[in-house]
Amino acid sequence: MKCRGFRYCRVLTVEEAVESFVSCEGEARFLAGGQSLLPALNLRLSAPDLLIDISRVEGLRGITLEGSDLRIGALTRHVEVLHSPLVAEYAPLLARAARFVAHPAIRNLGTFGGSLALADPASEFPACVLALNAQIEIAGLSGRRRVAADDYFLGLYETALEPGEILTAVYIPAGRTWQRVCFDELSRRRGDYALAGLAAQATFRDGGEVLTALRLVFCALGSKPMRAQAAEAALLNTKVDAVAIEAAQHALSQDLSPDEAEDLSSAARLHLARVLLGRVAHALREGAC
Amino acid sequence: MDITGEYRIAASREIVWSALNDPDVLRQCIPGCKELEAKSPEEMDAKVALKVGPVSATFSGNVRLEDIVAPEGYTLIGQGNGGIAGFAKGRALVRLAEAGGHTVLSYEARAEIGGKLASLGSRLIQSTSRKLAGQFFDSFAAHLGGKRATADAPVSAEVDDLELIHHTQNT
Repeated sequence: MKCRGFRYCRVLTVEEAVESFVSCEGEARFLAGGQSLLPALNLRLSAPDLLIDISRVEGLRGITLEGSDLRIGALTRHVEVLHSPLVAEYAPLLARAARFVAHPAIRNLGTFGGSLALADPASEFPACVLALNAQIEIAGLSGRRRVAADDYFLGLYETALEPGEILTAVYIPAGRTWQRVCFDELSRRRGDYALAGLAAQATFRDGGEVLTALRLVFCALGSKPMRAQAAEAALLNTKVDAVAIEAAQHALSQDLSPDEAEDLSSAARLHLARVLLGRVAHALREGAC
Repeated sequence: MDITGEYRIAASREIVWSALNDPDVLRQCIPGCKELEAKSPEEMDAKVALKVGPVSATFSGNVRLEDIVAPEGYTLIGQGNGGIAGFAKGRALVRLAEAGGHTVLSYEARAEIGGKLASLGSRLIQSTSRKLAGQFFDSFAAHLGGKRATADAPVSAEVDDLELIHHTQNT
């Protein structure tokens, strides 16, 4: 199948992009890496009148250290996140997760900002950005604003982005206060949509034995990235031994009530989340990245 | 995989029932409804724009009312064809019960999709249906004088117009 006809324009600045969007009479869409948008167009799930190509907008690409933050430009491709020395040092969780994002061909073109703007509930990066307590920078007609990841993901494909706004960058606290990170995922085949995914950041004290800070965020188990605060509480101030892990797995039913999807019942999906939590908690205890 | 929800509405059952049968009210409450034209008291032609993530399509179809037991409830059936994108069908069993001058509205809804939509959307049909059913009944309850209720901010007891008893949940 091929997509319906559309108009196309390429813009070089964020301001131009926003103006093009606002002045479009029909439906307009921003085109970045195109790895979700173009398949949707070809399947005719969506038929916008105008595509605004933002892939050459200046200043939206690249990974830099800015003060105490790691800044990842929205147009940075998944493959660049995967191999960046700065990401490896200051946000290793993203490097871990990038290996689970689709396939190499998609990682070569798909963009970090595009993944966050689409906010597919099964995507890895939204969960990571929430686990990392990052700030999302958004540009629109009235200038730029920053939104905490906690306030950015609102629901199924719903974010704090208003129509015509562009996600420009992500700022991740780079204080290296988090000692251990882990990302793991269950899927039927490598590269398929995740059945369950978990991003975790943890800090330990007392010679690395007692867990003192933790953020656990699941993907593919709700309509948006799901923070698991009851499970976090069950693991905090423990040595993450078998008893604590079991308590956290038990507590997970307070955090998640996954939808039945395709051939998996809600209970089966919760079970997968518990299995994943057990693996990730073990890995954190052993100090694994 | 039914989606259910329950609302307490500060209006008599007759008033709620007549709103449930008013095409104007339905047009305002069906998410993305562009047109709704009554062909008979039980059947309406509809145009609904659905925009969820990668999907943005306009569906042409109809809304039908079945198993009508006035003023206790009915089954609301909607189906639409999104052209090459595929089709979507949904039904909601709506029940009204009297409760001390107020009305308790409960619903059970389910949806299915086919065609290309299903190839991309089947993993999300449940979440999408919950969202759309929630939007419809939130709007409907709000239309009868309540405040919009969300799962994150349930309407508390001091809001006298509308009390959300249970937001959408799985059964």
